[in-house]
Amino acid sequence: MLKSRSVRFLSYAILIALAVTMIVPLWSVVATAFSSKFASLQPGIKLWPETFSIEGFETLFRRLNFVLPFANTLYVTVVGTALHVLLSAMGGYVLIQQDLPGRRIIAGIILLTLTIPTQVILVPLFVVFKQFMLLNTLLSLIVSEMVSAFSILLMKTYFEQVPKSMIESARMDGAGHFKLLRDFYLPLALPGVLTVTAFQIVHKYNLFIEPLLFINDPQKITLQIALQSVILGESATSTNDFIAPNVTMAAIVLALVPLLVFYPFMQKYLIRGLTVGGVKE
Amino acid sequence: MLDRVRRHWMLYLLIAPILAYFFAFLFYPMGQGIFLSFQKAGLLGPVGFVGFDNYAKVFSTPAVWQAIWNTLIIAAGITIVGTLVPILPAIALLQITPDWLKRGFQTAIYTPYLLSWVIIVGIWLNTLSPLGLVNTLLLAFGIIDQPINFFADPAWARPMVIGLTVWKDVGFHALIYLAALLSLSPDILEAADIDGANDFKKIRDILLPHLMPMIRVVFLITLLGSLRTFDSAFLMLNGRTADQIRTLAIFTYERGILNFDLGLASAAGVVLLIVSLLISGVAQIFTRTRPET
Repeated sequence: MLKSRSVRFLSYAILIALAVTMIVPLWSVVATAFSSKFASLQPGIKLWPETFSIEGFETLFRRLNFVLPFANTLYVTVVGTALHVLLSAMGGYVLIQQDLPGRRIIAGIILLTLTIPTQVILVPLFVVFKQFMLLNTLLSLIVSEMVSAFSILLMKTYFEQVPKSMIESARMDGAGHFKLLRDFYLPLALPGVLTVTAFQIVHKYNLFIEPLLFINDPQKITLQIALQSVILGESATSTNDFIAPNVTMAAIVLALVPLLVFYPFMQKYLIRGLTVGGVKE
Repeated sequence: MLDRVRRHWMLYLLIAPILAYFFAFLFYPMGQGIFLSFQKAGLLGPVGFVGFDNYAKVFSTPAVWQAIWNTLIIAAGITIVGTLVPILPAIALLQITPDWLKRGFQTAIYTPYLLSWVIIVGIWLNTLSPLGLVNTLLLAFGIIDQPINFFADPAWARPMVIGLTVWKDVGFHALIYLAALLSLSPDILEAADIDGANDFKKIRDILLPHLMPMIRVVFLITLLGSLRTFDSAFLMLNGRTADQIRTLAIFTYERGILNFDLGLASAAGVVLLIVSLLISGVAQIFTRTRPET
């Protein structure tokens, strides 16, 4: 697009510099995670494990029971995402019905929810979840953001692109709402459905404020909270034993694995979704 | 009309659980928050109406003013830097020709956006620790004599929250800008070539004006998001940095959940909501009217 050499050179310089701030710290985390406890405590630049060891991972599983938070997070992510996608698709489907009386009011209510962010109602949310007896349950994490205006509007945008003639002829053949949604809208708007799914998986996996607020039962601990206590050294494994960097970095590596597995499949949708959302304003 | 309503009963049935959810888990808590802010908090719950007492207490508590100030400074930093900086990588990505390299750069700078704040703070605690990579390099080049304790130095507290937030979102915002730049017709740039415009002129007179609507959108979403700063500052909060980065959202959490002062915390939450609605309202008017002039 631009011609001059200096601009081209500058472009590479900017992108390489940015990419380095991403790759080097991450690589250093991996190198530390596979170091022995002693090596991980040494000062300096660690880009390769000095003494290769997996004792960090062993400590994590043997002493800190790191399996439980993974299982809890997996449960919340799978069930929570499935419900979120289903409800958002239902919402999007209703909003594209042009001749539905009260459609504008419904759309207005949905848009209004955008003005109430979770961070502003932390205290009343706690009170309300207590009233509903959801405190200390994994259900509370599934319920938080079970549906959102953002996802409903994204679904609506994709559903609107499904050709009307196709829907009309299906309706002539006697297809009801469920059949239209299941056999036409969902498959034809699959990129939209996958975009909502991908973002929700990331969201549920990264959930932090909600478990912080609603859960203090150690049996219901989720990944990010377990990770926080390991990283910030708040979990007392035993009094005479402190958590060395190799253990905390091993925890980060483990938490990154599911994302790295899932990323290549979903990257396309994660990027497409944000541009659709952005362009729509 | 009534007939149409009856014909569509199935659609109302589909939307009912969604509306019920929003009422039960968003509007009702919001209402509870406003209700609690006018109540005296007892040990087992609200015990009576106290008018604006909680609000009077909110505005006479120095910690609240500090929290409001922290929130505004952090939000201003994140919004200004986080809106402008991503323009550079977006324009840079346009110049990268082999497609695989372009995709590689995109992935590398976008990935932090998907990571949780716990992981981000963990990664940088390692890299920026007094014994870590950055301090070792700075010492080796003689830029500093003493290692900087980035996470426990009050002077670094706000720049760290702002910097890491901008770093986390830079790829996300750059890709939004890139999508807008790709919608620019190549003919325009070719025409500029024929007119003998240099690259600087092309960026200033074609690319940036074309990006302007999207810069406004990113400005607004960043502003709204940054006023609610919680996770990032909460995870970087410690005894030495607390007074610099305790945001209003963190204040409501500490007072309401940890100290169980529901009335005061709810009132502070309402103040946060009103402040963010006001600022975003003003920002919206400000960014809407400018293009016409």
